[in-house]
Amino acid sequence: MRMTFADTVARLRPARPSFSEPRSGLGDADAPRPGPGRRAADLLRNGVRRASTVTLVVYALALGAGLGLVTADYATRGGYPFGGVRVGAWTAWPRVGSLGADPYARAVNARRGEIPLTIGEGMLLTADQDDSGRAIEAACTYAVAGVTPPARAWTLTVAGRGAREPGPIPMREGFTATEILRETDGRFVITLSPEVQPGNWLPMPRARGPVRLALRLYDTPVAASAGNLDRSAVPAITRGACAA
Amino acid sequence: MSPRGRFLLATLAGLVLAGLVHGVVVLLIPRLSEADALSRARSSEALDHPMPVNTVSAGDAAGQTSGQAPGQAAGQAPGRAETWLPIPDPSVAVGLCAYDLADGPMRVSARTGPLMMSLAVHGRRGAFYAVTDQAAVRGALDLVVLTRAQYDEALANADEDEVSHDVRIVAPETRGYVVVRVIAALPSQRPAADAAVQAVSCTVDSPAEDSKPGG
Repeated sequence: MRMTFADTVARLRPARPSFSEPRSGLGDADAPRPGPGRRAADLLRNGVRRASTVTLVVYALALGAGLGLVTADYATRGGYPFGGVRVGAWTAWPRVGSLGADPYARAVNARRGEIPLTIGEGMLLTADQDDSGRAIEAACTYAVAGVTPPARAWTLTVAGRGAREPGPIPMREGFTATEILRETDGRFVITLSPEVQPGNWLPMPRARGPVRLALRLYDTPVAASAGNLDRSAVPAITRGACAA
Repeated sequence: MSPRGRFLLATLAGLVLAGLVHGVVVLLIPRLSEADALSRARSSEALDHPMPVNTVSAGDAAGQTSGQAPGQAAGQAPGRAETWLPIPDPSVAVGLCAYDLADGPMRVSARTGPLMMSLAVHGRRGAFYAVTDQAAVRGALDLVVLTRAQYDEALANADEDEVSHDVRIVAPETRGYVVVRVIAALPSQRPAADAAVQAVSCTVDSPAEDSKPGG
């Protein structure tokens, strides 16, 4: 009778309590009487060795499968985990489309259905922070100003982070190099704001929450040497006033 | 072994197993995914022309009613929502041609126009070739994607007197897709960009057709 009870306990309970209980027994060392931990250890010793081995194996398998799947899902969800090159507030992703892409980038592309730009086509730069390191918020006004690296064409696109929200697509989601209004020296200022602005106004894609910018350079020589890009070669993102 | 040691051993084994599972899953995701570009391109119904992935113009109905204001009408375009790309570029039209070199070499013919165009050839492991319209010879860009065996065969059968403008690319795998991107710098060029993507032809080079002009 006692055997079957111990057997059931060992089968039903995961191995963790049978371990933590001896430790709690050791914790109150001022009480030397046999605690529940000692009793559990006794039970373990008393002929449930086979059952506990099964429990431990099941525990190890469950831990391995669960932890492995969860971490793999986490690492390949959303953006690319590795391979970015920081240039100012921007992160360049020069290798995500090439044969030398790391397995994580390949998995991210496969999960999202992304068709990455290759080195011969162009390069993607993303930014989810401004120049001072604060996250780009939809409630604030930002100035994206400066020059871009040399490229035959470029586009600057804004999108909310995460899944696209249902509802009407905003009137303007981005600018191309041809559309932009420039200063006399070729520099430009794009104002990213929820309010209507003069000049190159890029409306915020949603009312609140984090926002990301994507700068795509098409047919650019810098794709092969993104690490050499200087901070002054990419547009600066500076935060202005925030609504509430 | 003490229960504590056994438990530690089981935890350690679980962690090692977790690492193995993590690595295997990450490596298997591209192969098993049904949402990736290659799987979607292979399910395309479009024959001989790229499957439109990201169309930038407002669509036929909106274009007809609003005349020459596709940029303004683009916000209500029903076609825009179809794209599966995570952050699509609203001014770049994208089309896909899936190829399976077991059927024969794949020929991609593009005529360059005023809009900037780029072609990229992707395998399962990533892109291995990309070219833009600047490489076109007399306004024509002809890529032939083939396997190593098909390349050797094409070289052996080639007529020495005939100058070929084909760009022959040896693919590392038999399956993949070709991406066509056309950039509409201005909203008024968006219908033309969509049309330029559709004007590209992706056909299988059958050996019978190859031997006819040669002989």
